[in-house]
Amino acid sequence: MNLPNLSLADFLPLLPAIIMVVGASILLLSEVFLSTTASRAYQAVLTVVTAVAAGAMALTTMFEPPQEVMLGFGVLDPFSSFLTFVVCVGLTLATLSSVSFLRKRGAERGEFYALMLFASAGMSLLAMSNELITLFVNIEVLSLSTYALTSYLRRGTRPSEAGFKYFILGAFSSALLLYGAALLYGATGTTHLTAMAGPLSTAISSQPGLVYAGIILVIAGFAFKVAAVPFHMWTPDVYEGAPTPVTALMSAGVKAAAFAAMVRVFFMVGKGVDPQMLLGLFSVLAFLTMVAGNLLAIPQRNVKRMLAYSSIAHAGYLLVGVAALFVTGPGEQFRLLGASALTGGTPLDLARAEALRGILYYLLAYTFSAVGAFAIVSVLERREDEEKGTAWDLERFSGLAQRKPGWAFAMAAFMLSLGGIPPTIGFMSKLLIFQAAVDAGLIGLTIVGVLSSAVGIYYYLRVVVYMFMRPVPEGAQALEKSWSTELALVLSTAAVVILGIIPGPIMGWLEQASSIFGQ
Amino acid sequence: MVPITYYLLLAAALFCMGMFGVLVRRNALVVFMSVELMLNAANLTFVSFARMRGDDLGHVSAFFVIAVAAAEAAIGLAIVIAVFRSRGSVLLEDLRTMKH
Repeated sequence: MNLPNLSLADFLPLLPAIIMVVGASILLLSEVFLSTTASRAYQAVLTVVTAVAAGAMALTTMFEPPQEVMLGFGVLDPFSSFLTFVVCVGLTLATLSSVSFLRKRGAERGEFYALMLFASAGMSLLAMSNELITLFVNIEVLSLSTYALTSYLRRGTRPSEAGFKYFILGAFSSALLLYGAALLYGATGTTHLTAMAGPLSTAISSQPGLVYAGIILVIAGFAFKVAAVPFHMWTPDVYEGAPTPVTALMSAGVKAAAFAAMVRVFFMVGKGVDPQMLLGLFSVLAFLTMVAGNLLAIPQRNVKRMLAYSSIAHAGYLLVGVAALFVTGPGEQFRLLGASALTGGTPLDLARAEALRGILYYLLAYTFSAVGAFAIVSVLERREDEEKGTAWDLERFSGLAQRKPGWAFAMAAFMLSLGGIPPTIGFMSKLLIFQAAVDAGLIGLTIVGVLSSAVGIYYYLRVVVYMFMRPVPEGAQALEKSWSTELALVLSTAAVVILGIIPGPIMGWLEQASSIFGQ
Repeated sequence: MVPITYYLLLAAALFCMGMFGVLVRRNALVVFMSVELMLNAANLTFVSFARMRGDDLGHVSAFFVIAVAAAEAAIGLAIVIAVFRSRGSVLLEDLRTMKH
């Protein structure tokens, strides 16, 4: 067997991930030399610097043509660069909001940030993976780090319970995915996604059982990871029990990376098998996820749990975008509603590029809105309440507008954005996804999506009502200020509002990012 | 020689047993072992197909999976210990602090 020849050029595309791993290693090593009383303020600073550097690195590769990495085991294209950027944004904001969270609990240790960085490196590499085993290993890199982060706070019963549930269902879904990958390997003789399409189209007639079982298992594995109904039951408990900044990273980063991998795998698989089947499967998943996520969120008085169900609902809207990737096509004369900014290619390519752009924009929008909302949740919760069921009750938000007008304004912006109300980034992203779905001919699914997001507005606005129209509860304790959380809130509020009004710059990047799959 | 198909059927049986174990068993450690069984079923499938096709890729994949499974065992057992320390039991029905 020949050993592969790797040069420095093979490692350059991995720089964002390498930067994050180096940062994590520095944090772990430096922790060894610190006394228990030493100041650990540098750790968050180092993490933010690392995340920003990795994000900037990802931006520089955004406009380069797609290239193979590591002998085709990965691929660096605008799609993966944009995903890495989204992950770094989520990581930066989650880190900023975890500083005061950890300090209040006396739990500032280097491994927290190191695990966050390892998880993010796994996410970035997952978005680049172009081979099933590479993909599996990266899923595990990010999952193992998040399992550990979930049960990071060792006091109390919730974190370990949440960590255990997450671990078992996460490992279970990884095993489903891996077995599916093994079956696909058996049917095609390769695990490289680009090489798979050809053998798949012959295997589908000679060994249909193998191919279908493989595809269904891989879809089920991913459905667990992105929390699609009926594979969502772990989400509320895990989101509630995990430390709030970790929940923020999970909802933003893990979801984004899993969607990226899912899109890449099934786009390639869809070239080999009948796309109608994939369209059907993803439409059903999207329908169930949107409807169930929104309906289950309505009765929740626990805001953290409500945000968990809302994250399920958002996975549903994203799945509409994924389903739109598999349309067999609008005719030549069909005029695409949303493709004005996109050029080149047939209407079918354009429709797909449009769906991809919708998914990517949605992931960025959701990152800003959800991480921001979790940051507010984390500053309002108190450590001594954590064992009580009311730690995240809606009452906590009563009269917030009088106590902290800035926070109330930020939370209102995040809620409006999650609900998809203009002028926020959430509205723009929903518009893009549903436009793409209409252009792909998925009218029924779009109607369900719009109706269920209208239902969603109820529980988002309820938080706003509590903040602005309820009196301050008696005996409310003073709220602590923390510059880093304030910074995270200012950044995400600014992004939510400004990108909702002027989506221009990001749209320019996205034309790059979405054009690659069009061919 | 035993035909490859038998290995594949054995792997499928192991996988189903693992899945069944995860879904019905109530002891955290048994559930954890069932997950490991599923991973090993996938490994066996990889290796059998690799043998059938005379291809190295499946063998290599199995090694990666073994390494990942070891890392997963480390984290998983640590979490099980954390659960045991916080409530003195590793039975799944005791994990009900959070309600729907």
